[in-house]
Amino acid sequence: MALEITNLTKQYSTQKTALNNYSITINKGILGLLGPNGAGKSTLMKLIATISKPTQGTLFLDGTDIVQHPDAIRRVLGYLPQDFGVYPNLNAYEFLEYIAAMKGVGGTGLRKRIDVLLEGVNLTADAKRPIGTYSGGMKQRIGIAQALLNDPKVLIFDEPTVGLDPEERMRFRQLIADLAQDCIIILSSHIVSDIETIADEVAIMQDGRLITKGYQQDIIKQADGQIFEIFLENNSLTEFKNRYKVIDTARQNDRIKVRYISNDAHAAPSSTAVKATLEDAYLFLTQNNA
Amino acid sequence: MPYIYNIIKADYLQRTRSYSFLITLAVTVYAAYSFVPPSSAAYTTLSASGYKGVYNSAWVGYVSAIMTTVMLSFYGFLLVNSGIKKDIDTEVGLIIATTPISNFKYLLCKQLSNYLVLLTIAGCTFVVSFILFFIRGAGYPFILSNFVLPYLFFAVPALFMIASLAVVAEVFLGKRNILQYIICFFLCGATMSFITKSGDNSSGVFDPFGLSLITKSITRQINSQFHEHVKDVSFGFIFNGHRKYKPFVWEGISWSAVFIFSRVLWMGFGLALTYFSSLFFHRFDFKQAAGKKKIKVIQQPEADKLTINPAGITRQTMPPLVFNYGIFPFIKTELLLLIRQGNKWLWLLNSGLWIAMFIVPLPIAYTYMLPILLFLQVTRWSDLVTKEKTNRVHYFAYASYKPLLRMLPAQIFAGILLALALALPVLLRNAAGLNGYAIINIVNGSVFIVLLAATLGILSGGKKLFEVVFFMLTYAIVNKVPVADYLGGLTHGNTITYIFIIAGINIGLACAGFLTRSYQVKHL
Repeated sequence: MALEITNLTKQYSTQKTALNNYSITINKGILGLLGPNGAGKSTLMKLIATISKPTQGTLFLDGTDIVQHPDAIRRVLGYLPQDFGVYPNLNAYEFLEYIAAMKGVGGTGLRKRIDVLLEGVNLTADAKRPIGTYSGGMKQRIGIAQALLNDPKVLIFDEPTVGLDPEERMRFRQLIADLAQDCIIILSSHIVSDIETIADEVAIMQDGRLITKGYQQDIIKQADGQIFEIFLENNSLTEFKNRYKVIDTARQNDRIKVRYISNDAHAAPSSTAVKATLEDAYLFLTQNNA
Repeated sequence: MPYIYNIIKADYLQRTRSYSFLITLAVTVYAAYSFVPPSSAAYTTLSASGYKGVYNSAWVGYVSAIMTTVMLSFYGFLLVNSGIKKDIDTEVGLIIATTPISNFKYLLCKQLSNYLVLLTIAGCTFVVSFILFFIRGAGYPFILSNFVLPYLFFAVPALFMIASLAVVAEVFLGKRNILQYIICFFLCGATMSFITKSGDNSSGVFDPFGLSLITKSITRQINSQFHEHVKDVSFGFIFNGHRKYKPFVWEGISWSAVFIFSRVLWMGFGLALTYFSSLFFHRFDFKQAAGKKKIKVIQQPEADKLTINPAGITRQTMPPLVFNYGIFPFIKTELLLLIRQGNKWLWLLNSGLWIAMFIVPLPIAYTYMLPILLFLQVTRWSDLVTKEKTNRVHYFAYASYKPLLRMLPAQIFAGILLALALALPVLLRNAAGLNGYAIINIVNGSVFIVLLAATLGILSGGKKLFEVVFFMLTYAIVNKVPVADYLGGLTHGNTITYIFIIAGINIGLACAGFLTRSYQVKHL
């Protein structure tokens, strides 16, 4: 199974181009999308989910043009939008039955399927309560459950871990790791550590363009030798920030440990080169392409 | 005070920068055009026992101002009574609650922004009144004051009161929209009755709209000129076929200081009402607003909170996938959503009316009770096709399999089922009387009102337009205006033609709704 995206452009107005000549091939496994706000991640996901049409370019799923034939992907799609709602007067069962009807899932096994999903997202105990009374995290979990109703072959999660507590985030990671064996999973997150622990491949986006795509270790390699740490006095941090791109600061005793990006030749004296992480690589690449 | 100006400005812009407001203005221009009908029209808007004024500046200007005041008092309330609700829905209210703004200032801002919206609409009718004078004018001179003063002393203060009442209704009746509509309906109806029947003795001071001053002036003019004893003046769309009216020249009214001062006092009363309601405003703390009601705390077993299912979800644990692309599961849920929408007490009222329709004389059940019972469901039907957006479920809906061919028909079908269930007593009684035309008319009318809700919802993207139109239709039917009779309860010249007209409108509405939704699904 492969999703081929070629020269995809989405222009909302003459001033606003959300995606610009974007090409990528996505195979089975988990692809993590990283990028700053406005990079075009949600737009890309909406285009793949067929709820928006591209201005230019093509999207093919296993050779079928899904712009022309959106129902080809809709049958096998699970989509969790970033900003979704629920019908507050329905309980979890009724809501999932409704979404199942939208997806064309029925039969006598539907109730059992919903039971399994609710159990999986830990909502069985609250399944009979109106969803309007749910907390933000519970609503997010019902969103995850609805995405899985139709045994999707393409799963799109836009910021899926928003509102989940650490335990639920861990469960979510386990959940999609299990599902990733025979489907395409695309997920975006602002939390780099989520992508780091979940995704097989990572695509970094900026200003509607694809900066890089590859396995995590290959992306991290691009920042090797560019990340340093230094201990500074409190009063010198501001001046340091003017000269270097600071990634992180941590107070240690009376001093501040600063992690920053620089090339080898221009690193500050008494700095130590450190091993790059995915977050470092992401910041390094987005800064370089800004 | 400058920050209050900014709040009002932002609120006003938020409400007026919408497609539905543009539609409202277009409807307003059309309505304003109909306020002063041509002499060949089958209706009039102001008459007194067979007399009607010639189309001079005074008649055109005053009639336009009166109609604007009357119509906006009825329907303007519905247009603006959701300012606070918007802040609740968007959760902006929670931010507002944490700011230093006092309850009174917040509600005052809402009132003034309501007022500005209404004044914008009134401004449109004011401009159209000029144009109408030159279109309908019969060679009489143009006198600007005859246009400006009636708007200034009738419409401007009356709309201030309406803006205030909308805020008061939102504070005290919150989500009980239907109750708000009923109260508005009866308040306006009672005021209109007071105006039209006040006759020769009214000073207009105690009338919130001030229009009884017109009644007095017109009846006095007719009685003195034609030696009559006319007491009543009728406002609104009055359908009398092509009745010939006796013309008379009316030059407007003389404004007294007492009357003008009374308008200021009425505006002050509106302000006082807003202040009074601010003492009871929930400030977005609904637990506090619930007062002494005991809130049931749901206790979860300790074990549930801690249990984590380590198994997660695997395909092996799922039953086999069975596809079913029919629309019946949709219809079931849509019916469930329709039934659960709104307050439970409304079902009590519905049940009472439903049972009563079996008992009361059939003409009353058909022409009065059925339209009112259907109108009581206005909030159910108004969000029939807009609830995906308002509840932000549209991303699921539009990414599903063939949403246009499955979901929209299911929504419409569920709406029609509800309408027919409500109309069942009248349907059965007509069936017992072998009145086939009435049955077709009721079915046609039920389909019409649901398609109207769906199409206006799809076109405007909101609920308001349908709610206002449905309110107008119901008011018109109860007042026996034949053109609004979508249920066929009134007498029509040719029944077959009437059936085909409604069926044709239904087809037109369905086409417009489906085509627009088809575009929306593709261009989300």
